[in-house]
Amino acid sequence: MFLSRRLTGKYASLWVSLLAILMTLAAASILLLAMGKNPLIAFRSFLQGCGMIPKENYGGGSGMLTDLLDFLNYLAPLILASLAFIAAFKAGLFNIGIAGQMLLAGFTATVLVGYNKGLSAVVAKPLVLLIGLLVGGMTGALIGWLKYRFNIHEVVSTIMLNYIISYLTGFFINNNYVDMMTRNSKVCSPDSRLTLTNIMIGDLKCKIPLGLIIAILIALLVSFLFRKTVLGFEIKAVGQNRRCSEYTGIRVNRTILLSMGLSGAIAGLAGVAYYLGYTNTIIPKTLPGMGYDSISVALLGSGAPIGSIFAAIVVSVFQQGANYMSSTVGVAKEIASLITGILLLFASCGNYMKYKAARKMQLAEDLRRTEGKEAKAL
Amino acid sequence: MNKVFTDGLSFALPLLIIAVGALYSEKSGVTNLAAEGFQGVGAFFGALAATLLGPVIGNGNQAIIYIAILCAALGGALFSLIHGLLCIRFRANQVISGVVINILAVALTAFFTSAANSAISGNASNKFVLDVSTRFTIPLLSSIPWIGGIFTDMYPFEIMIAVLVVFLWYLLNRTRFGMRLRACGENPQAVDAAGANVNRIRWIAVMISGALCGIGGICFAYSMIGNFSPSIYQGFGYLAIAAMIFGNWKIGPTTLACLIFGLAKSGGLQLCIAAKLPSNYMDLFLMLPYILTLLLLVFFSKKNHPPKAAGEPFDKSKR
Repeated sequence: MFLSRRLTGKYASLWVSLLAILMTLAAASILLLAMGKNPLIAFRSFLQGCGMIPKENYGGGSGMLTDLLDFLNYLAPLILASLAFIAAFKAGLFNIGIAGQMLLAGFTATVLVGYNKGLSAVVAKPLVLLIGLLVGGMTGALIGWLKYRFNIHEVVSTIMLNYIISYLTGFFINNNYVDMMTRNSKVCSPDSRLTLTNIMIGDLKCKIPLGLIIAILIALLVSFLFRKTVLGFEIKAVGQNRRCSEYTGIRVNRTILLSMGLSGAIAGLAGVAYYLGYTNTIIPKTLPGMGYDSISVALLGSGAPIGSIFAAIVVSVFQQGANYMSSTVGVAKEIASLITGILLLFASCGNYMKYKAARKMQLAEDLRRTEGKEAKAL
Repeated sequence: MNKVFTDGLSFALPLLIIAVGALYSEKSGVTNLAAEGFQGVGAFFGALAATLLGPVIGNGNQAIIYIAILCAALGGALFSLIHGLLCIRFRANQVISGVVINILAVALTAFFTSAANSAISGNASNKFVLDVSTRFTIPLLSSIPWIGGIFTDMYPFEIMIAVLVVFLWYLLNRTRFGMRLRACGENPQAVDAAGANVNRIRWIAVMISGALCGIGGICFAYSMIGNFSPSIYQGFGYLAIAAMIFGNWKIGPTTLACLIFGLAKSGGLQLCIAAKLPSNYMDLFLMLPYILTLLLLVFFSKKNHPPKAAGEPFDKSKR
């Protein structure tokens, strides 16, 4: 009853997310116990790997702060990617192609700015962001155009584009930009990177993720867009009922194009934050797994822009802490993706949880009324 | 030229069985983006069975392949229960459920492949090595000029899939069960009024879908890839869904679409080899099926008639 009341109240979405996390932790614990490991130690290692709890010992030049900053460096593109998913999701569109849009934007920015040694940091960094916005935005708009002009389902077109982009950029990297040692693309110039490296704080060598500032800024902007502006309202209306919106005079085609363009643009930002911030190199023919993780984040945050920041933290803890957890507990680090998948599974049942709770409340209410009537009749 | 047909067919037929699997689910009113996940998990179960049984029966024994295909079908059907549970029982958004299934499939198989490998052989490799299926050539037909390549170097599973697809066409279009299944995707309320159980039919359809996708997955693992590893997730499932849409949710045209994809893929590769381009250029030709899909969809998507009720959970109280 306690839960039912929470799940039908004002903060229902928050409670659904919390419940999903709890159920995931329970499922992960069972899995770890079945493998003969102690889940509590595993969960502590996840947090230690992210710099939230101090480890037993650190190497020279690293500490809890460096771990935390590495974690934030990973967090920034994930927040942006989940915001990209939300921007399209509100219009009832599924942008499965975030991974491809990230890769294309990251690749273009790397080639145009990252390899251009002449640019100073003041010019290069904004230029990287601009390229990310434009390339991602145009890819997204193309998908929106294909959707309303030719009736091609966005899930299919984005996935086709994902593969095309992955092969195309892979071809160019292998042909022109490959680093013979690592078999990845050559690294970008430090001036163009969105992460400041080798900053000394005390005696710790730290990375400062500038992408995080952008991510939080964009989260606030998207939140404002959907709360206070006409465009945001129209996007939401189209997502709720396309025919009704058309009837009330909203230009549906334009809205679809804009929301897909916006989604792509934010995905492009995520791409530059990932490739010119977090990794600093591109592995040819590999789509970033973050593109799919972003969907888990968006669902866990129940489609709220600010909520997705917190959801991104939860998902990042598993993804980023997996390496350290793997070394201490000895479980393959693939378990991070498995936990994310289970989390997604429970989060997608959110509506059913709410529905069940509402039904239970209704039944209790009915019972109370009939009992009241019977008492009167007596 | 012969090679184009041979390779094209051995790619097109597993793709076709996945497409027909997706079609069964969609025709019953359950949107199926999970084909990619189904085929991967099916292939995982098949490969696991082959790896476990290999030492027992004797390596190189071709009977293992048929056992693997059976296990893949069962495993695919088992895994598809999650999709059914989310879409039919829990009324989750069916597109989201499909994406969830795909993500979960990649994670599950990657995790359990290394877990199983470290349990069996001690090293946590992420692949199961499989034997390659034997091929055979039909004597007379293979000497026909031009199309002889179709009957050269065939995998046994190609015949199996072709027979299975004909049977599945019959089941869908000529039987009472098939008609009810199709009606569930168009007007579930009418099916309910006629006294059939909509959700039960949908459950069966989703499980058939999982089984068929699983067969497709293990066939890919035994022919093109030659092992089971994360490389099974190359987007075959999505390509199959595109073929299904291009085929307008009908088995006949879907077969044609799969053949076009298969021939485009093998044709591109042979073209690349014939032109003696460096291996880097292979990537450009590997893009061909995907570009072709997009272009074909541009021309053919407008007139499509997807099942009317696909994507909606059945609600008895609606009319």
